[in-house]
Order: sequence, then C-alpha cells, then structure tokens
Amino acid sequence: MHLDDRLFSDKKLYLPLLAAVLVLPWLPMGTAGPYVIRIATLTLLYMVLAQGLNVVPGFTGLLDLGYVGFFGIGAYTAGLLTVHYQWSLWLVLPLAVLNGALWGVLRGAPTLRLSDDYFAIVTFGFSELIILVLKNELWLTRGPMGVPGIARPDLFGRVLDQPWQTYYLILFFLLLVLWVVVRIRSSRLGRAWFAIREDEIAAECVGVNVAHYKIIAFALSAAIGALAGAFYARWFRFIHPDMFKFWESILILCLIVFGGMGSITGALIGALVLIPLTEILRIVLPAEFSSARYLIFGLLIVVMMRWRPAGLLPVERE
Amino acid sequence: MLNALLEQSSLFLQQLVNGVTLGSIYALIAVGYTMVYGVIQLINFAHGEIYMLGAFLSFSLVSGFFGIGLPFALAVTIAVLVCALAGVLLDVVAYRPLRKAPRLAALITAIGMSIFLQNLALLIWGAQIKSFPREAVPAFLFAPALQFGDVVISWLQIVILSVAVILMVFLQLIVHYTKIGRAMRAIAQDQTAAALMGVNVNRVVSFTFALGSGLGGVAGILVGLYYNAVYPTMGYFAGIKAFAAAVLGGIGSIPGAILGGGILGLAEVFGGGYISSSYSDGIAYAVMILVILVKPTGLFGRLSRDKA
Repeated sequence: MHLDDRLFSDKKLYLPLLAAVLVLPWLPMGTAGPYVIRIATLTLLYMVLAQGLNVVPGFTGLLDLGYVGFFGIGAYTAGLLTVHYQWSLWLVLPLAVLNGALWGVLRGAPTLRLSDDYFAIVTFGFSELIILVLKNELWLTRGPMGVPGIARPDLFGRVLDQPWQTYYLILFFLLLVLWVVVRIRSSRLGRAWFAIREDEIAAECVGVNVAHYKIIAFALSAAIGALAGAFYARWFRFIHPDMFKFWESILILCLIVFGGMGSITGALIGALVLIPLTEILRIVLPAEFSSARYLIFGLLIVVMMRWRPAGLLPVERE
Repeated sequence: MLNALLEQSSLFLQQLVNGVTLGSIYALIAVGYTMVYGVIQLINFAHGEIYMLGAFLSFSLVSGFFGIGLPFALAVTIAVLVCALAGVLLDVVAYRPLRKAPRLAALITAIGMSIFLQNLALLIWGAQIKSFPREAVPAFLFAPALQFGDVVISWLQIVILSVAVILMVFLQLIVHYTKIGRAMRAIAQDQTAAALMGVNVNRVVSFTFALGSGLGGVAGILVGLYYNAVYPTMGYFAGIKAFAAAVLGGIGSIPGAILGGGILGLAEVFGGGYISSSYSDGIAYAVMILVILVKPTGLFGRLSRDKA
C-alpha cells in the first residue's frame, strides 16, 4: 500500500503525529517559545503551499514555475479587502480562494495543449507579470510601498493575537487541505490526473476528458495557494510585491522535489526538513553568507534530480 | 512646430540606436538558448548565469579583483574562454547524466544550476553593483563616435553592434559549412539516427554548449561595459528576455533568435519610451506568453514531431 494511503488511514500512524503537532505550543521552551512557534507556523504554511503546488506537477505532471503568483493573489486579495473594509478573515478568505481559483483557470485554460516545457515557461511569465502589476498599479496595490497594517485573523468576533492561536489556525487549514487532497487522490478525479501524468495521449484515448480534469487541477492548486496567501497576509500583517518573487516558486518546488513529486507525505516532509533548515541557516551563517543560502537549495535540486529523481519518498507507479 | 518635430525625430532616432544595441545583445544570448534547445531540447535556464559569469570574470581580471590586473584584451579573451568551458562543464556535470531521464528532470536541474550559480556569484562577489574601473578600459569606447544633432552614437554601441554581427556571421558559417556544424544539424533533426551514422553526440553537444556559452560570455562583457554595472542577478533578467527572443524567433532557429533579439530590444526601448516605462520589463514576458500560446513555433521555427 502506498505510504500516503497508510499514513492517513492507519490510526497508529497519524494519531501520535497529530498529538505531537497539537501539544507543540505547550512544550516548555523557555524564552525560545515564540520563535519556535513562529517557525512551526511558517513550516505549516509551506506545507499548505507544497500540497497546493503538488496538485499540478505531482498529480498531473505539468511543471508549474509560477506558483507563488497564486500565493500573491490570495495575499493581496485578502490584505486589501481587510484594509479597506475591515472584514472578518472568514469573509475575505473564501473571496481570496475564489479569486485564486479564477486566476488558476484563466491561466490554465489557454495552456491546455502546451507541452511540459512551454507550460513551465508560461507559468513563469505569468507570475512575473503578476509581480509587475503588484509593483506598478499603485491605485490598487500601493506598489513598492506594500500594504501595512493588515488586521490579525479573527474567530467568532475575537482577535487571534497569540502565536499559538495562529499556529492552530494554520494547522486547521493544513488538515483541511490534506483532507481534500487525500480524498481526491484515491477518487475518480485523482485517477484521471494520474492517467494524464503517465501518458496524456493514452488517457485521452481511453476517454479521460483531459482538458476538463486539467482545469480542475489548476483551479484546486491555485485555490490552495490563495488560501495560504490569505492566511499569510493576516498573519504577517504586511505584504509587499518582493515577497512573491520567482525565488518563492522555486523554494516551494524544492519542497516537493525533495519529498518526491506526487507524494502527499513527501511534500509534508520536504517542508518539515527544509523550512526549519532555511531558518537555522539564517541564524548560523554569518550575515554575508546568509543571503547566499539559496545556493544550497540550487545544489539540492541538482543532486536530487541526479540521484533521487523521484524524491525521498517515490510514488509507486503500477 | 518644426523644432518640436525635430526633437521628436531625434528622440526617435536615439531610441532606435539604443534599441538596436540592446537587441544585438539579446540576440547574442538568445543564440545560446536556441542552439542548446535545437540540439538536446533543453531550456538551459542557467545560460543567463554564464552571461553573468562573463561580466564578472572580465571585471575581476581587469580590475585586479583576484590579485592581478590584466590588460583589457587579455582579460576579455580569458573571460570568454572560461565561459565556454563553464558551459561545457555545466552540461557534463548536470545535464548529461539526465539525457535519458524525463525532460522535466533536466529542466528542473537547469533551474537548480541557475540558482546555484547565481548564489555562488553572490558569495564570491557580493550583492553590490560592480563597475569597470575607467582607467582599465580603453577610453575611446565611451567617446561619442557619431553625432547627428542630438543623436549620439558611442563607440561602444558601434563595437557592440559590429561584434554581434561578426559573431553571428561566423556562427552561421560554422553551422552551415563545417563538419561539426553539419553534425549539430543532424543531431537537431534526429539524435538517434545521427548517433547511428557515427556522429559523436556527446562531443557535438559539448561543442554546442561551448559555442553558445562563449557568445553568452561576450554578451555579458558588452553589457557590463555598456551599463557599467555587474551584479549577480543580471543574468536572470537578461536570460529571460533573451529566452523570450529565442521563443519569438522560433526556438531552435538561429536566424530566428537573431531577429527575435532585435525585435525585442526595439520593443523594449520603444515600449519603455512611448508606452510605459514601468512595464518595459513586462513586454518580454507578454511577448513570450503570447507567442507560446498563439504560435509556439515562433517566426522561423519548424514544427517539431512532438506537439509544440
């Protein structure tokens, strides 16, 4: 049985893990507590992003190099709506998700017939154009000044201002996303995606409506990215066009390459290992090297592709 | 009225000169993308970093960053040769082991190498913008060569254009009239068949990388001089624009890359001057996306046997 199915169906596996994640904020950590919780929150956020990206390259086999664009769309949709109308998180979040999904479809629809590398280039160009719009449409996004002072997340009218509260919030979103992708993975939809990934023409020939299923994948992937963006805007409370650069797309791609493209567990492990590692490197390395820490990510990608192209947890292919 | 008209037309001419200069640089880089793609169907994302390397190496050798300052001509020659070698190494170390792997794996590796090299440069040279020391560069380059009213053409612009033209002619001669050029075209048509006919595929691919990377290095040096600015991310932006130029011309086609580079250089300068300066970078992305969506074979591209 595949690890993804085992992890999410075997109580002996997932209950202890869930318990560990739930008690984390309450462990005695002394003064390091808030910092550890911050990194844990960031890791969970990247787990959500990795799951969202995984839907397109992992499940349907199309390389998305501009995933951060949807993260940015979600963040700006939620951030701007919050700043202008002071709406609750639970109102702006669905709107951000819908806007993300809309752009996922708009970007995806014209690319349906493109081969892998052309698809990758279009996704890349799309996210670069998004950054340009964020930078230049001052009337909407305030451009390089960024959007400061975004309200914190809220729940039933109460503001979530404690680190452990935002930690549980993103944990809730992660579990929600995991529930969706795990269910889809073993559904008719998931099987259609895998068929497209293995051989698009063969899938078409046996009656899989390739265009239809690809569009669903684009919408879902973008929606998850926008969800993460909306959370990010309300958690970090400041957004800026530079936060959504090409780098971020590559970082998220690195997470799923490391864990194994197409593997849900792999995407989780990728984030679990690499995100805390980035933060540790930031502290450990002297200042002049810390900006070059992405060097390790570049090298990691190259090494993984050379020796473990299917990642640490390869997806079994029947 | 007449004055305004004259002013307009001299602005136009100046933009034209700047656009042609920029375009010939894009063409030099784009040729590297297109040759590699033609031969092994790989978008060599790290090509922009080779271009950046050319700029940094020539800067370092001229200014004595590594301890010794070399004469300009010698420094430039060494920089170009090292770029060619770096291109070959890039292929041998990163891409060759993946020749039989799915294409996606090689593409992801190329992105990894691009990030690796960019950050390596950041580590070695730092993020600050470096400028060529004026005294180490032949002074005539920055002097105006021709002047018509307000329109100024510097020697450097003339040098850039003529270097680009000479190298392109040279490249066409290699590809069309030498044995190794014929081997390159054979591999581009059908790698397996070429190998069966006794073409040493690995050697020809290495040669292609050397040629493309050498040209990329030349472009890097010229840009480093032209803008008098060398920095680690310069290859990222120039690389994307040159890649867009290659796509526009039809990826795999050398004349296409040259024409695409020219069009894109002009479009960027005129678009920046007459439409919107803040979106001048966006022109390249928009052109790239539109060409891929509407006519993936570009201006001169052939229909490949795979779907586009």
